[in-house]
Amino acid sequence: MAHIPDGVLSGPVLVAGGILAAVGVARGLKELEPERIPKVAMLSAVMFVASLIHLPAGPASVHLLLNGMAGIMLGWAAFPALLAALLLQAVLFGFGGLLVLGVNTVNMAAPAVLAGLIFRRLAKDASTRRIAMIAALCSGGAVLLTGVMVAGSLAASGREFEAAARLVVLSHLPVMGIEAVFASAAIGLLARVKPEALA
Amino acid sequence: MRRLAAILVLLLWAAPSQAHKLKLFASVEGNDIVGSAYFVGGDKAAGVPGRIEGADGSPPLAFTTGPDGGFRLGVMARMDHTISVESEDGHAARFIIRAEDLPPSLPEGKLMAALPETSQIEAAIARQIRPLREQLDAYESRTRLHDVMGGIGMIFGLFGCWAWLQSRRRGS
Repeated sequence: MAHIPDGVLSGPVLVAGGILAAVGVARGLKELEPERIPKVAMLSAVMFVASLIHLPAGPASVHLLLNGMAGIMLGWAAFPALLAALLLQAVLFGFGGLLVLGVNTVNMAAPAVLAGLIFRRLAKDASTRRIAMIAALCSGGAVLLTGVMVAGSLAASGREFEAAARLVVLSHLPVMGIEAVFASAAIGLLARVKPEALA
Repeated sequence: MRRLAAILVLLLWAAPSQAHKLKLFASVEGNDIVGSAYFVGGDKAAGVPGRIEGADGSPPLAFTTGPDGGFRLGVMARMDHTISVESEDGHAARFIIRAEDLPPSLPEGKLMAALPETSQIEAAIARQIRPLREQLDAYESRTRLHDVMGGIGMIFGLFGCWAWLQSRRRGS
């Protein structure tokens, strides 16, 4: 759903998206210590592949995003990770345009960073079970927020917000469910066996 | 970690199957433009609004794809036609039918009563090769495993370069 193609959004929205994405990527790279780079690369690769798993959902066709989980594990580094994944999806498979890369990156990475911040605040000193639950909520919420932001980008370009939002959010309810389960399993496991991976 | 690795393997396994991008294919049958909208991977895009615009700037013809993603509309003149579909969640696709693909019996804005025999043959051939052209088009857009592997490699390469740059900066 974050694969908005070229020619749909208006100029100002594209420029705003590009600037916001550049700021996010710069911040993500600035905070990125060399030791964490392999982790960023791995999650970027996972997100790149996840978008190829396709679930038919009513009139649309949806796929996993995994941006919430990336935000929990990467924080601001989710911006460069998502930019790389989205760039290669656009170049190799034509999913989403190149001019809208900035907007698509912000639509996916901003909810990811937010999910990461909320997770960090709530999961501090929490039990493993609680951490898994918070991870589920954060990653489901990130998918929902991405849907709302996609509808918002369409609305800012003169399209009807309500119809787009209804279609995008409704078709992504199953994705939210799957990602919540997936994130709670993965993050719960990490919290138990390798808690430093979440820091 | 083993569970994560297993999940990654499963993700990779499913990778070459399909993903979503709206595609459009159209061809000419007699005086009609016939086509279908679908998602990469083959799922039909049903109920998607679209329109056909002639090169002469006449008002566009609107249509909505049927349950099988298909549509059929008659055109009045021999000229380039641009067909576009756009779903409400921001997926869009475009296809151009060239003037030379339309039967010569179609003049500017006038329809001939009966088609001469040659154009009937042309129409029959067009009808028969349409599935082939559609299949080729779908095949071209299919996600291939080596693209996926290449993409993963490129991601690690990109971040590897960044790590190398960072380490040099720190070293000096």
